[in-house]
Order: sequence, then structure tokens, then C-alpha cells
Amino acid sequence: MASISTSIPLIRFQSNSFKLTNKFKRQILATGLDFRPEIRLLNCNFSYFNKKYRKKERDFVFRVCCSSSEDSDNKFVGNEVEKEKDIVELEKPVGKLQETVDSIAPILFGMKKHISTNVAVGLCLAIAFVVISIREYLIRKSRSNHHGSVEDLVKRGQLRSDRRGISRPLKYDDPFNNPLVKVSKSNSTVEMCGKVYRLAPVTLTEREQSNHQKRRSRAYQWKRPTIFLKEGDSIPPDVDPDTVRWIPANHPFATTVNDIDEDLAQSNVYQKRGVPFRIKAEHEALQKKLETLQNEQKLSKLVIDPGSVKDFERPFKSFSSHETQDGNDSTPKPDGSVNSSESTTSFDELQKP
Amino acid sequence: MISLQLHTINPNSSSLKTSSFPISTSSHYFNSKSLKPHFKSTPYNTSTIVSVLQWNRKPQLAGETPRVVVITSGKGGVGKTTTTANVGLSLARLGFSVVAIDADVGLRNLDLLLGLENRVNYTAVEVLNGDCRLDQALVRDKRWSNFELLCISKPRSKLPLGFGGKALIWLVDALKSRQEGSPDFIIIDCPAGIDAGFITAITPANEAVLVTTPDITSLRDADRVTGLLECDGIKDIKMIVNRVRTDLIRGEDMMSVLDVQEMLGLALLGVIPEDSEVIRSTNRGYPLVLNKPPTLAGLAFEQAAWRLVEQDSMKAVMIEEEPKKRGFFSFFGG
Repeated sequence: MASISTSIPLIRFQSNSFKLTNKFKRQILATGLDFRPEIRLLNCNFSYFNKKYRKKERDFVFRVCCSSSEDSDNKFVGNEVEKEKDIVELEKPVGKLQETVDSIAPILFGMKKHISTNVAVGLCLAIAFVVISIREYLIRKSRSNHHGSVEDLVKRGQLRSDRRGISRPLKYDDPFNNPLVKVSKSNSTVEMCGKVYRLAPVTLTEREQSNHQKRRSRAYQWKRPTIFLKEGDSIPPDVDPDTVRWIPANHPFATTVNDIDEDLAQSNVYQKRGVPFRIKAEHEALQKKLETLQNEQKLSKLVIDPGSVKDFERPFKSFSSHETQDGNDSTPKPDGSVNSSESTTSFDELQKP
Repeated sequence: MISLQLHTINPNSSSLKTSSFPISTSSHYFNSKSLKPHFKSTPYNTSTIVSVLQWNRKPQLAGETPRVVVITSGKGGVGKTTTTANVGLSLARLGFSVVAIDADVGLRNLDLLLGLENRVNYTAVEVLNGDCRLDQALVRDKRWSNFELLCISKPRSKLPLGFGGKALIWLVDALKSRQEGSPDFIIIDCPAGIDAGFITAITPANEAVLVTTPDITSLRDADRVTGLLECDGIKDIKMIVNRVRTDLIRGEDMMSVLDVQEMLGLALLGVIPEDSEVIRSTNRGYPLVLNKPPTLAGLAFEQAAWRLVEQDSMKAVMIEEEPKKRGFFSFFGG
């Protein structure tokens, strides 16, 4: 790099001095040649100069070069003496040119260094940008989880929409070890869920508490109501009027009508096993009804033709056949094929539309 | 799960026994003559606070089982049902068997919050009528099998009013004597107001949790309800202050928890911060305490449940949010 950079001013210098005499040419060339070893020397010598100095030198040299070129066009042709002087003067800019060349090399070298550090900084910034953007993306993604939203209501069937699958329930396993709660060493603050709160002691004393209790006992005289009456009812004679609760007649979910048998209700509550009372009672009632129906049928069988009764009793066919077996012993049965024939008939009946 | 226990350095400070409980918590309260909280006039004297974290241990159950706790408020919409669902499931997660009774006859919602609305076929009214047995009316939660729900009635059925209290007492007795053993906790979700539903709900209860919000309407109702409970013989009353916003307290737009305590004079069971997750968990039918990662309100409910088990009360409250010291790499998520 250094050699290339030095050759450029030299060429320019040569082109400037193209119109000069051979003598001058030689001199110039000689000086040009003479520079070279010096350049190498100066490469190391001037590399330590400060930048300001180098800049000034460079500017100066370029100015000289330019002026020399213009001067050479205009003045040197006519006046050789002046040219000689100029050439002598030119030697100085060349020296400075040499310095310039020297100064350029470390700058270029430095630029190389700068480029490498810039790349590193840029890379870091790019990585930071990528990290921040990923983090933002993750945060937004976590926010977009709509647990407890209207969507969930839809899922649970509270809103009219397509019922979709209920989300997987979360299990919070360890209630005893919660890393989200931290108390500071001085116990003056507590950190919960990333927020720091200041703590203050509770100042309620026993005396204050008893004072409040006394105040309330004075302010609120109250007896628990023992009887509930509809508005307009008369108070029974042995009842304290303070313990009566008056219920409006149009109360939406309360009624004063007490048609429940209390003992029965209590036994229902205390029942540990078996069929509940009401179910049992209903079952028994149905059973009785059925029995009475069947008894009526038995009676009717005496009057009505039993064959026609059979046709009306499809669901109870097997049952009635047993009944007939038990009841009508007089009917002859050649073999035990009654059940089988009945089963075939029932099958045939099922086959019919 | 943690529970804060705070001790004063000064041994002569007056101690407050929150109740006549068999387990005495090593709690000492701060001696203060004035009702005004100290932190307003003086800077927080934090050097006197020493807290002990309870890590990796099961809370010790205090009192006789079953503990029958009624969760009430007076005013509606303060978070009774949310508290019942979350405290109930927290207790179940802590390993105790819990039966939650929704005593709101006309407007039951606990089944919705727990996501069990499709599984309620029988209620206590059917049990009383003899349509089913009590064990058939109990809806067991599939997530935590030691949690069961019992609804008093179906929304449109009418319950004789003079009968509800007695019925609940029978139900509690039947639960005590059931084959698989008595439950550790029976939590009753009380309806709003002080009508017949309230009277029914408090009848079998031995202790009460009063849920309130830091506003004057809720506080007036809470004070009245506390008075009624005390008249009825329930002396063990603790309060949960719900929907607390530290930013509003800082700007003095909302009463602080200590102000609320000063007005009601009740021991604090928990302070639940306002949390947007509550509405989402309600919609999902999945209580907050089961959320992963846990939410701020869910953690507060867990701590309240812990204190309920040990019959403990809060010794320090969170008053305001401090700006968190952020590290050098916080920009990158560090």
C-alpha cells in the first residue's frame, strides 16, 4: 500500500515536470529515486507523529503540488532561472509528500482496526436487538393466552356457542415452597410476584378490641329470630316480638309455609346408606299400583277371554305366562315347549313392523 | 407458602390474644396508645419488625374439628364467594378436608366459581325431602378430592325460612358423624344482607370471617354485621380486607388496611390486593389459588387460609408499593 501511494504523487510530479528540460528531468528523477530509501526509513520514523501534524503536512504538500503544476504550465517555460528555483523549492514538497505517504500508512492501518471493532459492535447490537425482539415476542405470546376470557365462558357452556374442549387444568403442586414471595433481610419489605411492598406493624391492642366490642353491644341490640311470619300474620302469644322475622308474601325464594315433617327431614339428613326415603316411598307406591293393576287383570281374566288379554300385554308377556302357568294349571301342556313357542311368537312379533 | 409472623423486640409490649385458642401463636402486638396508625406521622419504624417465614411445613390445625366458619360481609359484592372458594381450596391444598356450603338460597354462585356448576344435581333441600342421601348431594372436586361442595337449594326452589337454621345444624351434625370421618373445616358462604339467609348461615357457625373492602359503605355494613354476630354469640371474628389498592392508599384516596382495622377493631386474617386475575378466574371457574404462576391475590388468599388453620392473625400489613431496584441487565430481562 505504501509503495502504491508514494508512486502516485511521483507520477504526478513527473507529469508536471514533463515540459522541463532533461537536466531538470534527471534531477527530478534523481530526487524521485533518492526518495525511495528515505521513504522506507521515514516509514518507521514518522509513524509516531501526531495526526494533526500529519494533516497539516499533507495539506501543505498538496497545495504545493497543485501550485507547482499550475506554475509549471505558466512560468517555467519562459524563465529557466525561476524554474531552477522552483525545482529547488519543489524538493521541499517532495519531502513533505514523503511524510504524507508515511502518515497515510498508519491511518490506513488504523482504519483497518476501526473496521474490525465496528463490526464487533454492530454484531453485538444486532444480537441485542434479536434478543430483545424475541423477549418481546414471548411476552406478547404469554399475554395472548386468554385464560378466563369470554372464550373460556364459551368453553364452559355459559355462553351460547360451540362447546369446545375444556382447557387442561393447571396443578399448583407445592403450596409450601413459593419462590415468588421474598422478605427482605431487614424485614421491612416483602417482594411478591415481582413487586416490592413496604410492611407496617399492626397496631390493634386487646383494649381497643374490647372497646369496639362494647361499642357494638351498645349500638346493636339483636336477638336471633326464632319465628318467621308472613306480613299480616298475628304473633303467637308465647313468642317474643323481637325474635319475629317478618317475611313479605311475595318473597322470591322464601316461604313461611312449613309443610315439612321435621322429624322425617332430620332422619333423611342423618341417613347414611340405603335408598332415600322419597325414592323408596315412590317405589313402594308404584309397586302397589302395579300389584293392584295385576289383581284387576286377574279378575278381568275371569270374565274376558284370556287369549285376547295376552295380545294387550306385550311388555308383561313372559311375566303373564308365568302367571298363567301358576294360575291356570287346568290348561293341558303336552310338553315343555310353551316358553319356546312363546319366545318364537314374540320374536315374530318383533319382526313385524 | 409463607405466613408472616412478626415479633417486637420490646418484650414489654402488650400482647393481644386473638382468641382463647389452644395454640398460642408467638405473636406480640405493638403497644400503641393512640388509634391512629403510626406510619402517617412518623416514618416506618421498621427496625422493630422481625418476621419469620414458614417454609416447607404444614400448618398446625388449631381448635376442635370440624371448624364451622361462616364467611359473611353484610354488603354484597365485596368478595364473600370468592373468598370462600379460594380459602376453601387453599385449605384443601394444605391437606385438610373441607366441605363448603353455599347458603345463598336464591342466588347461589359458589358452584360457578369452583367450576362445579354442571355437577350439582342434588342440594340440601333434596336431602331434607328424602330424594337423595347427604353423601349424594356432596359434590367432590376432582382437582382436590378432599374438597366438597354442598348447595342449599336450587335457584328456583323455595326453602321454609324457619327451617334453614335447623337444617344446617342437622347437616353439620351429619357431616361430623359420617363414615369417612368428620371434615376439618365446614365453610359456609353467607348471602348478602342480614335477612333470613344470613340468619340461616350463621346458625351452625362457631367462628366468622368478615369480608370487607376499604370503603365506608362496606365498613358500615361490616360493623353492623359484626355486632349481630357478637349478639348471636360468635366471638371469634376476623376480617379479610379485600380489593386493596396500594396506589390509591398512597395517594390517600383509599383507606389503608390499618385505618379499616382502626374503625372495626377486628383482628386481620388477610389483606387481598385488587387483582385483575380475579375476574378471569371467576370466568374460568378455576379459583385463583390454583393459578400457575400464582397471582398476588392468590398468594394473599393462601396466607389467609394458613392463618385460619392456625387461628393466627396478621402482625404486619403491606402498605405501599416500593419501586423495585432494578439491575444493570434489567433491560434485557435480568
